[in-house]
Amino acid sequence: MSPTPVSPARSNRGSHCGRISVIATHAFTQLVRMKVFYFLAVFAVIVIGSNFFDLPQHVGPEAAGTNVLNSIKSWSIGTMSLFSVVFAIVATALLLPKDVEDRTLYTILAKPVPRIDYLAGKLLGVLLLVFVSLALMDVLMTVVLQIRTSMILSGQMEMAHSRGWPAAEIASLRADILRQGPNASLQGAVWAVFLRASIMASLALLISTFSTSTLFTSITSFLIYFIGYFQADARDIFLESGTAGTGWVARTVSLFVSLVLPDFHLFNVIDAVIQGQAMPLIRLWELTGIGLFYAVFYVLASWFIFAEKEF
Amino acid sequence: MADATPAVEICGLVKDFKTSFRRQMLRAVAGVSIRIEPGEVYGLIGPNGSGKSTTMKALLGLVAPTAGTCAIFGQDSLRVDSRREVGFLPENPYFYKHLSGAETLRFYGRLCGMRGPVLADRVSELLALVDLESARDRRLGGYSKGMLQRIGLAQALVQDPRLLILDEPTAGVDPIGSRQIRDLIFKLRERGITVFLCSHLLEQVQEVCDHVGIIFQGKMVKEGRLEDLIAIEDQTEIVLRDASPELVAQITALVANSPEAALVRTGKPRTTLERLFLRETLRDDP
Repeated sequence: MSPTPVSPARSNRGSHCGRISVIATHAFTQLVRMKVFYFLAVFAVIVIGSNFFDLPQHVGPEAAGTNVLNSIKSWSIGTMSLFSVVFAIVATALLLPKDVEDRTLYTILAKPVPRIDYLAGKLLGVLLLVFVSLALMDVLMTVVLQIRTSMILSGQMEMAHSRGWPAAEIASLRADILRQGPNASLQGAVWAVFLRASIMASLALLISTFSTSTLFTSITSFLIYFIGYFQADARDIFLESGTAGTGWVARTVSLFVSLVLPDFHLFNVIDAVIQGQAMPLIRLWELTGIGLFYAVFYVLASWFIFAEKEF
Repeated sequence: MADATPAVEICGLVKDFKTSFRRQMLRAVAGVSIRIEPGEVYGLIGPNGSGKSTTMKALLGLVAPTAGTCAIFGQDSLRVDSRREVGFLPENPYFYKHLSGAETLRFYGRLCGMRGPVLADRVSELLALVDLESARDRRLGGYSKGMLQRIGLAQALVQDPRLLILDEPTAGVDPIGSRQIRDLIFKLRERGITVFLCSHLLEQVQEVCDHVGIIFQGKMVKEGRLEDLIAIEDQTEIVLRDASPELVAQITALVANSPEAALVRTGKPRTTLERLFLRETLRDDP
């Protein structure tokens, strides 16, 4: 008897990258069809509304209008931060238990799909949506900020010329205004917002591998998010415990917190950028490295638990 | 030479689950062994909670055996590669409601490494096979229960597997949908695909299966060829068409004269309620 010919449908074995991209694209589509992008309309209202928060100021005429630029940045980046963290946690916490509950996970894992591919695909799908959303919000913020900066710049230049300011002071005024407008540091801050959301999505993925409900995963993730802002304090307690005489419980907890959680204080650089400070490139690389490290660490930990999970 | 590797080989499968409280162990499957040859249709029957689904999940690597082994075409079922040859339809499947029928099949096909025209052709072929061509672009949220079962069967077949595992394939489906699924199983058997199904609808199992195993409280209590298991060895059945009462009287007298044989019953054979229902609702059917 001749050997059975291999069906064309069965001939291709597929690759890890291929499967991950299929699951990621699907998770992205699933979330898009949940009408998540409606949030962008809310964001547009917030950005346009922030143009009108022209609070009374007690500064000289050279600083007139820059508080509006700060307001636009502050509201936009604040909304981006809130959206990205909430969305990263809730969407990740929702996707995995939903697949288990609906038994769609059975049909996926019954195909030649390694569990790490499934986890990585789901996470990448969420991150892709957060990235696209942030990119769209960033474009909107940048356009509004650019228009407003140009308006303020022309007004201020007119004022400076009419008052006969020296060229050096005019140039300095121009630089001050442009520093509050759209620039590379602002894009760096948006990237930092994305990195922080990526860490939180990976953490939510880890929790959802052993959690029994979306609510538990979400609440625990938010708690850990806030604890992350005390990571630096925990590290200090651990490092100074020898001299400060702190008890072993505090030392153990502080060691755990400082190793397992990222130091979210590092992301305070976002606030500095809103205030018009420049973000050093080295800080951007540092944040990128931290984001990547924790995302990979949490995904591997998720895999460790998920690989042994029974359905 | 015929392939000697069985499609399914389960040897001494034991599966214990921890209960939530007191950490006591609950034995769901206790030493089950099953061997299914390529091309067979095997039915695993048993009451709810007897261990059917756990056995299937162990075969698919969804649960790890406490003891024993499961293999698919010779490959350990805990290995991801073993699932290349398997299609699975779970009980009461819910697929992604936001996808259409064609998108669902494309999604599962891509997971199996299929791309381009091969995948497109396969999707069309499967939609035709399960009679869902007219609903290919409709989202699954609008599918009926029977349509969901059929799209589930199509996704199980997408990579052209040699083994199909069906967990209660007709659960909750009306008699017409149920018959369509049964006819599909017949078609698959003709193509040489091995089918392993579990059900508690005994009549259906009897219609489609070559081999049957009865599982009860986690143990295999009876197993073998269906014909051998259900035949009543000391009885013979003669079914006559247009027999006159005189002929029936003659046969009855003949039997009465026999020193060993005894007439058990005479009368008109009855159709099943399912056949009656299908005859009345599908009048154009033969």
